[in-house]
Amino acid sequence: MEIKDLSDKTGEWLRGTGKESDIVISSRIRLARNIAGFPFLSRANLKQRKEIESLLRTTIVESNITQDISYVNLSNATPVDKLLLVERHLISKEHAEGEGERGVAFGKAETISLMINEEDHLRIQVIHSGFELKNTWETTDEIDNVLGKSLNFAFSARFGYLTACPTNVGTGMRVSVMLHLPALGMTKHIEKVFNAVGKLGLVVRGLYGEGTKVSGDLYQISNQFALGKSEKEIISIIESVIPRITSYERMARKALVLESKDQLEDRIWRSYGMLKAARMITSEEILQLLSQVRMGVNIGLIDEIEMQTLNELFVLTLPGHLQKLQGCELDSTQRNIIRASYVRKRLDGL
Amino acid sequence: MKCESCNKKLATVHLTEIVENEKKERHFCEDCAQNVTNHFPKAPSPSDILTSLINQVSPEIREMSKTTCPVCGLSYLEFRSQGRLGCPMDYNVFKKGLLPLIERMHGSSQHVGKVPANAGAEIIKKNELIQLRKELNEAVEKEDYEKAAELRDKIYELSGNVEDGD
Repeated sequence: MEIKDLSDKTGEWLRGTGKESDIVISSRIRLARNIAGFPFLSRANLKQRKEIESLLRTTIVESNITQDISYVNLSNATPVDKLLLVERHLISKEHAEGEGERGVAFGKAETISLMINEEDHLRIQVIHSGFELKNTWETTDEIDNVLGKSLNFAFSARFGYLTACPTNVGTGMRVSVMLHLPALGMTKHIEKVFNAVGKLGLVVRGLYGEGTKVSGDLYQISNQFALGKSEKEIISIIESVIPRITSYERMARKALVLESKDQLEDRIWRSYGMLKAARMITSEEILQLLSQVRMGVNIGLIDEIEMQTLNELFVLTLPGHLQKLQGCELDSTQRNIIRASYVRKRLDGL
Repeated sequence: MKCESCNKKLATVHLTEIVENEKKERHFCEDCAQNVTNHFPKAPSPSDILTSLINQVSPEIREMSKTTCPVCGLSYLEFRSQGRLGCPMDYNVFKKGLLPLIERMHGSSQHVGKVPANAGAEIIKKNELIQLRKELNEAVEKEDYEKAAELRDKIYELSGNVEDGD
């Protein structure tokens, strides 16, 4: 599979299926691993970096982890291709912006992605649609076991899996659940969620992880600690928190419908109208519009759009995707025009 | 131009000396320049200034500031300024400085999760013991004495031939 095949379809995690998928967009788990006998990347020379890349790439390709595995060498990928992979959540921003020999292997369904030479030698990532941490962990665990048979991971009995940054040491695990919380945002109750979640050692981040801002009412909740608790314990903490947040969001939606039905409906229909009629839409604006319409579908106001279409539009209208689809680099004005026409086309004939 | 001191190597360091209003140009190679400039009072290097600043704030860093990893060459100060470790051995070399940091980040400094399948049998056993002890504490807290007794027996059984500690 080539990168160009990615631009007009999306991965499994945007299907809008799975538990609580009206609010939970996706469940993701990643493990950080390093190979014993090599320095971490900040101290690795070019030769070592290359050796690590080639050892991991061969092991992954030969391990048959997933069918139709694709490997993209990021050291010679174009900026647009890298942007597209970031928007797909197949690589991180840091991985795209990094230097030297590095790459990513991913399966056709895009549920599995293995980043080589990101901050650590290897990052195993599994992502599923909806609130599905159990399946997600089982797949992650299995990949880790398969690769662990032929690779010698840096590990100590005291500190667990050793990572370049001490914030990941231990399990090397980060669990992230992506939530769509428009009503909590609108009613300003989201701050309360942040505070409560913080007390449990969890953090709230924006759409693209660390340091990114919140847009389109999409939030990622993830664990901050990786040591002192087992993988299953960490997962169960998040598993117990998410249903509370989703029911809080549902309550907020109900309250909005009860207390300010007209304003709410007006806002949603206006957003829908804009998506269907606008000639230029910025990337910031479209997230807001899609967020409103998504809530409109969830509360039963709009019934002519599939959840999958909406989820996909969040990703397919991002700058990297539009440029890949168009086959050339575009400035922001051109992107705004193409974004609007792409959305009109997708929503047309419904 | 050759070095005026050794007269062998190329002069790459050029000094201007002013003695009693008289200007004098001098030219040295790098090695000889070292000897000559040693007589001048040395200005503190940026890292010296940094060290003295940190020393006032965090005593743990003062203690660790001279430590450098023999494997990857990373110094503790470099780690503290970049936040990234250089190799797996750093966890041992910088243990004293890292422990309080790790405790603060994770609320713990003992791994209880997964162990790689090819880790030594001892490590696997040790890790299992840690997990069992944790469960035992929880069982006692919950006053589930039946489970606690069960766990205690398992711990005895396992700990027969494993050395304790970290």
